This record gives sequence, structure tokens and C-alpha cells, in this order.
Amino acid sequence: MTSLGSSSSSSSTEYTVRVPKNNSKKYNLMAFNSGDKVNCSTWTQARMERDMSARRIYGEEEAAEGAAGSEFGKKQREESRRKKYGIVTREFKVEDQPWILKVNGKAGKRFKGIKKGGVTENASYYIFTQCPDGAFEAFPVHGWYNFTPQAKHRTLTAEEAEEEWGRRNKVVNHFSIMLQRRFREQERGGEDDDDENDKSGKKKKKGGRKGGDLRIHDLEEDLEMSSDDSDSSVGDDGEAKTKGKKDSGKGKAKKKKRKSSDKDALEDSDDGDYEGLEVDYMSDESSSDEEPEKAKQSKGEDHPKGIDEASESEEESEEEKPNEEETKEEEEEEEGKKTPVQTEKKKKKDSSGESETSDDSDIDGETASALFMKKRTPPKRGGRGSAGSSRTGSRPGTPSIDSASTSSTLRAAASKLEQGKRPTAGPSTDSPAAKRLKMEPSSQSPAPSGKTTPQPPSGKSTPSSSDVQLTEEAVRRYLIRKPMTTKDLLKKFQTKRTGLSSEQTVNVLAQILKRLNPERKNVNDKMHFYLTE
Amino acid sequence: MSDKAQVNLTGVKQSKGVWLVKVPKYLSEQWDKAPEKGEVGKITIGKKLGKTEVSFSLDAELTARGGVGENDASTQVPREHPFTMHTAGGQTLAVFSQGDGDEIRLEGMVVHRAECRPVVNDDYMRLKKLQLKESTKPQRLSQQLERAVTTIFKPRADHDFNLEHDKKKKTDGKMVRAERQVVLDMLFSAFEKHQYYNIKDLVDITKQPVTYLKEIIREIGVYNSKGTHKSTWELKPEYRHYRSAEEEEEMQTA
Repeated sequence: MTSLGSSSSSSSTEYTVRVPKNNSKKYNLMAFNSGDKVNCSTWTQARMERDMSARRIYGEEEAAEGAAGSEFGKKQREESRRKKYGIVTREFKVEDQPWILKVNGKAGKRFKGIKKGGVTENASYYIFTQCPDGAFEAFPVHGWYNFTPQAKHRTLTAEEAEEEWGRRNKVVNHFSIMLQRRFREQERGGEDDDDENDKSGKKKKKGGRKGGDLRIHDLEEDLEMSSDDSDSSVGDDGEAKTKGKKDSGKGKAKKKKRKSSDKDALEDSDDGDYEGLEVDYMSDESSSDEEPEKAKQSKGEDHPKGIDEASESEEESEEEKPNEEETKEEEEEEEGKKTPVQTEKKKKKDSSGESETSDDSDIDGETASALFMKKRTPPKRGGRGSAGSSRTGSRPGTPSIDSASTSSTLRAAASKLEQGKRPTAGPSTDSPAAKRLKMEPSSQSPAPSGKTTPQPPSGKSTPSSSDVQLTEEAVRRYLIRKPMTTKDLLKKFQTKRTGLSSEQTVNVLAQILKRLNPERKNVNDKMHFYLTE
Repeated sequence: MSDKAQVNLTGVKQSKGVWLVKVPKYLSEQWDKAPEKGEVGKITIGKKLGKTEVSFSLDAELTARGGVGENDASTQVPREHPFTMHTAGGQTLAVFSQGDGDEIRLEGMVVHRAECRPVVNDDYMRLKKLQLKESTKPQRLSQQLERAVTTIFKPRADHDFNLEHDKKKKTDGKMVRAERQVVLDMLFSAFEKHQYYNIKDLVDITKQPVTYLKEIIREIGVYNSKGTHKSTWELKPEYRHYRSAEEEEEMQTA
């Protein structure tokens, strides 16, 4: 029923619109995403059915009604129970279930069509089709389904995806992710032999794909160390099996990864192994790629560890030390170990020029001298520091240990140094009083008699400073060596060591001083006593 | 009930292009009132100055909102509705229809989308005003009751219901023991209907005193103290010959 009506500038045609009444057919819309590039005309065959998987969840499992297995009045009881608890169960409506569309048979694509809600609420959609007679027929749209293609390939579950996301910056080989997953699945399912075969077979199939069990780890992932090792080992095996061509770059990367993983494994135990490397500062370059990495990492590890262990050792030695001083001390210690005499000589030499009182601190495990040291040549320290530290597995820890062994010789030297040092360094402002004090007690034991001669280990120099007597002799010794204030003297004779109470100590000391009648000198506004022989 | 079907792809093969038109609710309501033939109006497709213009005009008979045949000037639905046309856009839209007998047909692809827009004039404004008024009315009203509500229980010494119940019990008298065989027959017929019964329900069915009933049922039945059907009685295995549900169905259909 077309009729023409037109004005000059436009041509228009009229068509009647019909809305058929007797519609047994319900029209629905099937919406695809343009990205999926779906072309319906290419479909040869298609099957569509409702996805009833939700029925298990929603539908109540009805026990057999009537006869076998049923109870009398069960339904009513269940209903009243539900009402009592206010449980409102949503009905399972077949109409609202998603569609499953299979195109081109089993091997073809699969789509899932989920109903879109709210389509018919405020406006109605009509499908206008043109009939052969030219009129339009309008059919109301019953429902709108959004069809999305379903992945046939394997995907990661949510947990796995989260995991991989966390490692995304470290994992280079993404093919390995799915391979690993498959491997894991097979392990759960089949025997080991089969797994191996499958794994190797798959690897061969994939050719360039890597045995994907390698993982790169940063320092932070120390926890996973063991698993990494096993994984890396498996990965290595896998690699061996893979015959496919290897991308050289990838291979290199892998080697590095392996190395890093090995490195990671080693670092735990052999922290100090790399301390002896020439690489002191980050800028050092070495021939192979590994060394700087290792050095870097070792350094990196050292510092945090150093501080920790430092605190430990400090407790032991009742002290606190910065690391630098440690290194210096260790260095000294090391030397001291080998050639006590030489050390002493060197120290002597140093004492004249530099602050080798690091030895003192070494021996005593105290940093008093470190204060003096600090002002002196740091580079020299640094140079030898690493060497020294290399010898000691954990720097902070060693001083106390070593000191015990070498104390006898070193103490003598130390005391000698002290004598030399104290006048010059004197009241070093850097040093908190505590450090100096700590230095002192240890120097008590190796009672050096003379100023200039380094005392050989004699009976006087006893490593343990526990048997300190508050005697005139001891006081005399101190005052000869160096001018001291009363406070210093008191601190020398600690109550812990003398076994006297503080009051007693004060009294006894006062008496002794009276007897000795030392000379007085005012240093830094403090009254110092000293004796001359 | 589950629609499983091979999709009839004839529509798509023929590359039938259809239009998807969004129509306002009031207009679709009017269309529902269309006469048997189904004609609702005319669509005009014209080319004005190079642009394609489509317009729909509603049949005069359908403009009345009240009902067909009425000519209430106040509620007139506008007649002219220009269509705004777009192409299919990002989505690939196809139309499939579900027939009665689980038949699914792919009718065609959507080539154009259109929106049926009303022309804004006084008529339309009036219509919208009415619509708004209707929608703002609350769905729930408060009504005043004429009589007071008498279902609430006032505190009493003894409720009417209770008194009646006692009286009924007295008049009905105690349950009389019927013949053993009679009771057994009753039980068997009951167990034919359901497998598990509560003792209370059995008492209700058989109208026998509990002790007597228990005696009898102990002969033929067994008590379930645990499991899904707790504290229920069922027949002993030798007395049972239940058929599964499917068999029963088969029997019925046969």
C-alpha cells in the first residue's frame, strides 16, 4: 500500500506499519561485540540452548514426591520453615537463563548470551521488517541477549592470575605460565612418568618455548628460596630436554636468571664470600657480568645484615659501633692475627701518624678509639676495610671473637697506643663518655708499666678484666699513664668488677688519692690528677 | 521446557535487514490497542535535501488514550513521530525468534537503529503531565478502617479457641481401638503414599491411641532415629516394594 506523496525538493514514500496481533513467536535480540567480528552469514550451522547450570544452585532439590523417599507433609513443613526464617528463594526462571550458542559444530565457536535487564521497562523496542508487499511489520522485542565468545583455550583462575600479576615485572617468559599450569594439572592427575613424557613432549612440540620453571627472584623473596631452587633445578632439566631452537637472547636471559637464582640460593649462607672482592663501591667494574651483580647484592645484603649483626655483637661486647669502624677494626684485627708484632709496630707507626686506636676498639670491642679514627684517613680504611671484612664472615660479629684470641698481644699494643694517643686525642668531643670508658676497663688488665714499651703479654695483662682491685697500685698506674679525673677513676673501678659498692669505692678511692697525693692539672675545666715517675 | 534447537539460519542467509526501533511506552500501548488487522499507522521515508527522513504517523483512531472509539480530546496521543536513524554502530545485532515448539530462527540482522521521537507540542505536554501525575501517586495508601481489628488476642483467662478445642475433644471422645487388621490396612495404604511418617501424623491418620498404634507399627515398621528422615517411621524392608519414580511414570504412560 504505497502511496506517493512528494514535494518538489523531496521524494518520499509511504508505507503502512502493521503490528501483527497473533504472535506466537517471540522476538529477541542477539547482540555481539563488534570486536569479535561476528558474521552471521558465514555460519553453516548453529545450535542454541539454555544454560541450565544455575538450576542446581537455585532450584531446590526436590526429594521424590510420593511413595519412595518422601515424608508425609514434608513440603508444608519446609515451606513453613522457610517462612519462619524469612528465607526468600528466588525462582529459577527458565526465561532468564543465558543461552549457549554453538556455531559450526563442535570445532566452531561458542557463545554465551546473557540477558540484559531493564530493556523493556521504560521503552519498547520493535523490529521493523519490510514485507514483500512493501508494508512494515513491527514486532516487539521480548528480550535482549548479549553474546560473548567463550574461550576454548585454557585460562588462569582468579588466584593464579593474582599470583602472576604480582610477578609480572620479573617474569619475562610468559609462555611458561600456562605450561607450568598444565604441568601442575598433570601432576595432580597422572603419574610422574606420564608427566615427564607429556612435559617433554609438549616442550618439543612447542619448540622455542622455554621450560618454564625458572623464576627470577629479588632479594625480597628470600622466603621462597627453597621452592625456587627446586623450580630452577626442574627448569634446568626441562631446558636440557627441550630440543627446540633457542633464542640466543632468551637463552642468555635464562642463564642470567639461573645465575641470579643460584646467587639467591647462595647468598643466604655465604654472605661474606663476596666481601673480599675488589668491588668496594658500586662504580667498580669487573670483567664478567656476574661479579658486579654479586658484589652489589652482597653489599646490599651486607648493609642490612651488618647492622643487625652489629647490634648483636655490640651486645656481646657491650658496645655500639658504626660499621665503618668495624671494618677498620677488623682490618686491624686481621693483621693482628697474623703478625702480632708487625701489627704492633704498625700500630706504633700509626699511632704516631694516625689513629690506629682502632685496634683498641678492636680488642676492647669498643669504639672509643674509633672516635679518634674517624678523623683520620677514611679511604685507607676503606681500602683495607673490605679486605679486612672479607676475612670475617660477619663483620660485627668477629671483633669480639677475635679479640679474645688476640687480646693478649693486642692489648699490650693498645695500651701503648692509648698512652700515646690520649694526650693528643685527649678529650675527643666526638666520643661519648661511655666509649672512652669502655676502652679504659679493658686497658686495665694489660697493665703496662712503661709508657714507651709495648707490654709483652705478661701476667699483668690478663684478658679477663673481671679481677680488678681497687688498690693504690692500680690507681698509681692509671695516673702515671694519663691524667684522669675522679670520675674517670671511678669508672675504672666499676662496682661490677671490684665487687665493692659505689660508696665503698668512693671512700677507698679518696683514701688512695690522699695517700698518693697526685699532681693536679686543669684540663677543660676539669680537675685531672696525674703522677709522674 | 528447555529450549534446545538447531537454529534456523534462513533469515540470515537471505541477508534480511531489519530495523530496530525504540518506541516510547505510550505509543506502544496505543499499538497494543490496534484492531485485528494490525495497522497502526504509516511510515514516510523521504529524502529532504539529501538527508533521509523517516517519519511515522499514528492512525487517527489510535490517538485516543482512553480506549478505542473514544474521542477524549484531553488525552490525545500525538500523531507525528519522526524517526532518528543511526546505523548499526559498534554492535552486531541479530534477531532471533523463539517459536512455540522450541524452534529458534535467526530472523535477520539489524541494519539501522531508530528512535521514535514525539514532536513536542501542547498535546504532548499534556500527555506528559498526566503521566507524571500518575507516577507521582504513591502506590500505597492509608485507609481508614470502619471496624476495629479483631484478630489481636486480648489477654484472657482461657481463650475461646482453647475452650472449643476441649469441648470438641470431650465430645469426640477418646480414640477407640479398631481391629488390628483394620489398622494395619490403614497403615499400609498410608505407606503407599509416602515412605516416611511421623508418629503424630500416623495417629492423625488412623485415629488410634498412640500406644496401640505403636504396638502395631512396631510389627511392620522400623524407626529412623538418625539420618535425613529423622524420627520417622517407615515400613520394614520386607514389606516395602516401592517403585522408583521413573518406573511409575512409565507405568502411567503405558
